[in-house]
Amino acid sequence: MTGKTKIIVFCLLGLFAAALFIYGVGFHSTNVLAQKDDSAAFTKSEPALIKEVSIGGVTRDAAGNLIQTYTGKPPQACPT
Amino acid sequence: MVKETKLANLAARLLPWRTWVQTGFLLVWLDPLGLRLHNMCGPVFHCYACPLATFACPIGVIAQFTAIHIFPFIAVGLLVAVGVLFGALLCGWACPFGLLQDLAAKIPTPKFSLPKWTGHFRYVALIATVLAVPYFFGEGHRLFICRVCPAGALEKAVPDMVQQALAGQQIIWPNALKLTILVLFLVVIFFARRPWCRILCPLGGIFSLFNRISAFFIRFELGKCTKCELCHKLCKYDIEPEKSPNDLRCIRCLECTRCGPGALNFGSIFERAAKAMQN
Repeated sequence: MTGKTKIIVFCLLGLFAAALFIYGVGFHSTNVLAQKDDSAAFTKSEPALIKEVSIGGVTRDAAGNLIQTYTGKPPQACPT
Repeated sequence: MVKETKLANLAARLLPWRTWVQTGFLLVWLDPLGLRLHNMCGPVFHCYACPLATFACPIGVIAQFTAIHIFPFIAVGLLVAVGVLFGALLCGWACPFGLLQDLAAKIPTPKFSLPKWTGHFRYVALIATVLAVPYFFGEGHRLFICRVCPAGALEKAVPDMVQQALAGQQIIWPNALKLTILVLFLVVIFFARRPWCRILCPLGGIFSLFNRISAFFIRFELGKCTKCELCHKLCKYDIEPEKSPNDLRCIRCLECTRCGPGALNFGSIFERAAKAMQN
């Protein structure tokens, strides 16, 4: 791969990565239902969702909805 | 030996201190300030269940998001950005799990080579345990990456077991597969260099895909090579650097850049761009 090609690939992939990252941080969000009261839904940004999955805090129920796995205080660590 | 570029000189000066650089990075990954920034991924293999983890594990995040059928934009964006910049350089210079294996390799036990084809298992681990199993079976499946990961076993399960034993509580053992992989890992790291990184690490597998196209790379200058094959001895990972300087199996420890004739150097596309602009 020539130097010029590398620079083009770097720029394109870099832009792609930046776009993914910025979208994830700034724009991507998902509705999550509370565990006990599934009519109560709240929107979580992707960073908040990352924190939730790191403690095993969300899962998909049988209907395909994202649902919180805990009530009250979140667990300290991932159960896996 | 004085290298031709500033970057190559910097790499040559840092090279003897690589273990210390890796150790220094622990101050970033092990959360000395208790920030617990688990809403953001780090670019290294370090379990987010560990009490000493600043960031979330990118592999764990990708697997968990795949399990809930949501695309992990932040994790993927971060890994592509780091990969396209550095390739597998963070594996060789920053990863705490890599550091553990490097320290184990310093123990003077006989070291065995790993066949080249074992490197492909990283992609099997990535596709199976990080993508397919979570997507089709969810995070409860026994082959979900976090349920078998030795980093999680060592950094969370084992400290928990020690704590439970000291507190006189019932010890909760990890599942049999996780325990087996952990025990195998703890034995093999004394008899092979970086076995996890070379055989099973899904994160290393992702980063190494960028080795041939990353902005920072190992430059080989054919005109300077004297075919002395010193680089074969310098590379501890069974790669022939002069034939494949940015090999998929390379963790970019940069040991091969100690090359006597100076044919192998750490370079970047920014040097070429700067030279082109000067000309």
